Amino acid sequence: MALTPMKQLATLQRGRFLTLSPTLGPVVCGSRVNFMGEYRRPGQPRDNTPPWKKIQFSFAKGVQGIRKHFGLLKDEAFKHMAGPQGQPLKEYVLEQTQVLWEFRGPESLSQWIVSSDREIGGQSEAYLKLGRNNTTCLLYGTLCSTPPRDGETRYSGYCTLRSKQPLLSFDRKQHHDWSRFNTLFLRIRGDGRPWMVNIGTETYFYHQSDDMYNYFLYTRGGPYWQDVKIPFSKFFLSSRGRIQDDQHPLWLDKVNTIGFTLGDKADGPFQLEIDFIAVCNDRAHTEEFAYEVYKRNPEV
Amino acid sequence: MYRMFVHPTIKATHAHSLILHGYCSQPRRGFHGSSIFLKNKPAATDYGEKSEHKGGGNKSLVTHDNLFERAAQDSRTKATFNRVVDVFVKQDIRRRGHVEFIYAALKKMPEFGVERDIAVYNKILDIFPKEVFVPRNFIQRMFNHYPRQQECGVEVLEQMENYGVMPNIETKVLLVQIFGEKSHPIRKYQRLMYWFPKFKNLNPYPVPHELPQDPVDLARFSLSRIANDLDAKVTMYQMPYTDVSEAGEEVTQPYVIGIQSPDQQELLAKHDTSRPVFVEGPFTLWLRKTCVYYYVLRADPLPPEEKVKEPIDPEQCFFYPLELDLDLDRDVGDEDNFNVDEVEEGPVFAMCMAEKGDQATLAKWISGLQETNPILGRIATVFRVESGPCEIQSAAEPESAPAQESEPEPEPAEEEKPLRSQSMKQ
Repeated sequence: MALTPMKQLATLQRGRFLTLSPTLGPVVCGSRVNFMGEYRRPGQPRDNTPPWKKIQFSFAKGVQGIRKHFGLLKDEAFKHMAGPQGQPLKEYVLEQTQVLWEFRGPESLSQWIVSSDREIGGQSEAYLKLGRNNTTCLLYGTLCSTPPRDGETRYSGYCTLRSKQPLLSFDRKQHHDWSRFNTLFLRIRGDGRPWMVNIGTETYFYHQSDDMYNYFLYTRGGPYWQDVKIPFSKFFLSSRGRIQDDQHPLWLDKVNTIGFTLGDKADGPFQLEIDFIAVCNDRAHTEEFAYEVYKRNPEV
Repeated sequence: MYRMFVHPTIKATHAHSLILHGYCSQPRRGFHGSSIFLKNKPAATDYGEKSEHKGGGNKSLVTHDNLFERAAQDSRTKATFNRVVDVFVKQDIRRRGHVEFIYAALKKMPEFGVERDIAVYNKILDIFPKEVFVPRNFIQRMFNHYPRQQECGVEVLEQMENYGVMPNIETKVLLVQIFGEKSHPIRKYQRLMYWFPKFKNLNPYPVPHELPQDPVDLARFSLSRIANDLDAKVTMYQMPYTDVSEAGEEVTQPYVIGIQSPDQQELLAKHDTSRPVFVEGPFTLWLRKTCVYYYVLRADPLPPEEKVKEPIDPEQCFFYPLELDLDLDRDVGDEDNFNVDEVEEGPVFAMCMAEKGDQATLAKWISGLQETNPILGRIATVFRVESGPCEIQSAAEPESAPAQESEPEPEPAEEEKPLRSQSMKQ
């Protein structure tokens, strides 16, 4: 049976961290097709181990877990007494800027995940380390856009830095609440390559689990730092690397992750240095959403 | 049933398909061609005839690839590519195997250098027979009419998208003629036309598609890009030339081109002469798919006890004071600054790009800089240059530069004189 075009296009790209290439414009596609489960490389056998065999009991691990989680619970309780999100109420209500991540030590890197197209069989490499004075985060590596020779994957060549999902005690999800702010602020230093900022939010339905809000991050290159302000209204919705027809503004009250993706198809070394990531309230910016929501594109 | 759910949007609209009959200049579908059609072949050029000899009929993918490869032996140009497409179109009035041919053509496009040419994409789309794949009733419309052909059409558009080629009205007319008004390729076309103009001019630091061929022009462009200062002045410290000396040896002089802004000059003039300045590099800069390397003249950051805050000259602005020392506290709600520590970094005094990244070449830059910055003569200059690929290279043709490998840190003896400065070992 011949596959329908949409279905086949969707089978072509199945990585978890799929890229939209900023130089060439992201891949545009309409329908949101989801496949069950994690990404499995073409040709790889299915993992049929029953779930109870994956559980590993260990007394030491249990004790460690209890200490960690009750410690977190205690912190949470005390934070709650101080005010919302651990800030005094006045500060929480009035503050116009909030620094989310600043890279000022080795422990700040532990909140980030680096991945590249290695996991779909590509040859790119990405590493994360602290910058020269241990005060910045340096993401570097080489990009290689040769697709893996598995007969199915057509595009390859991406490197990603993604923040970890913040967790509360007993592994409950915690979300960033940025609804008091309207702009993302980054201080970066790149090498002229375009990047993409991805924001992942909490979703309700399973088929939305791959939804991401993206925008482009252009770097100038050179020895100077660059202050980038991206209004959240500019972020557009994409799922599995494809821009969606039905756009929706980014809801900022439950943000899970933020990520940076490189996939500009220029093979070679790259680097991106991040000083800090912050959100701020730009009072001059009043736009709610930059794309049409009142009508579907293309209209049916 | 399944497809009904996948494409619930394809509704039956007869009106659209009816409009199309106006375009119908192609042979009507459904005619029963006799074998005469196959016998009197249209005049095929040599490529077609050769492929005829090789393996009867052009139905497999291999033959189409061969068609292109045979054409590539002459020259890889747009004209050759178009000729191959013409040969295919003229070979068979029914365009047998056109889907395979289109896939082969898409794959060969970058080789022929036509991947950013809208006319060629339109020509490729023109291979599809017109009218045949247009659904004629609601059932056809509902059940994904001619899926393989539509898929192929989407593929052509996707390649256009990947290379950043904007479709034009001709593309639309072709797609409507081939697949009808509400087909998947048309949808894809609409999506492209919606999103491309939105993202086209987004880059605040635009790079032209065609970079200057001359490396000096390229260096000038990239330096003014990274300097981020309109006052900065680009200076050519050494012209590139190749000459044959009397002994018959070829003497080449690498170009050295640098940039310095008045602010940087001022910073350098104030620099403490007891502290060395460093030439660092090479750092990479990417301009689309081209990678260039630049070098930076900078100093180490000042230790905190030596920092002096420069008082602002009150005569800089007569209309309002630039500094106000009022003892007022700002409210939390008025504080727009970010609560982060500054990253301690040394000041940048100048930047340069050179054909070669060895110390002798960069010393030319420093001695050239001395003319405008006499203080450099009294400051020690340390080269922290890493060996590596120090020539301009594009991502397409990576060259290795083993020549520089051998001299990462040459002995300072011969570099001493022109610099009038001591070079320190790191």
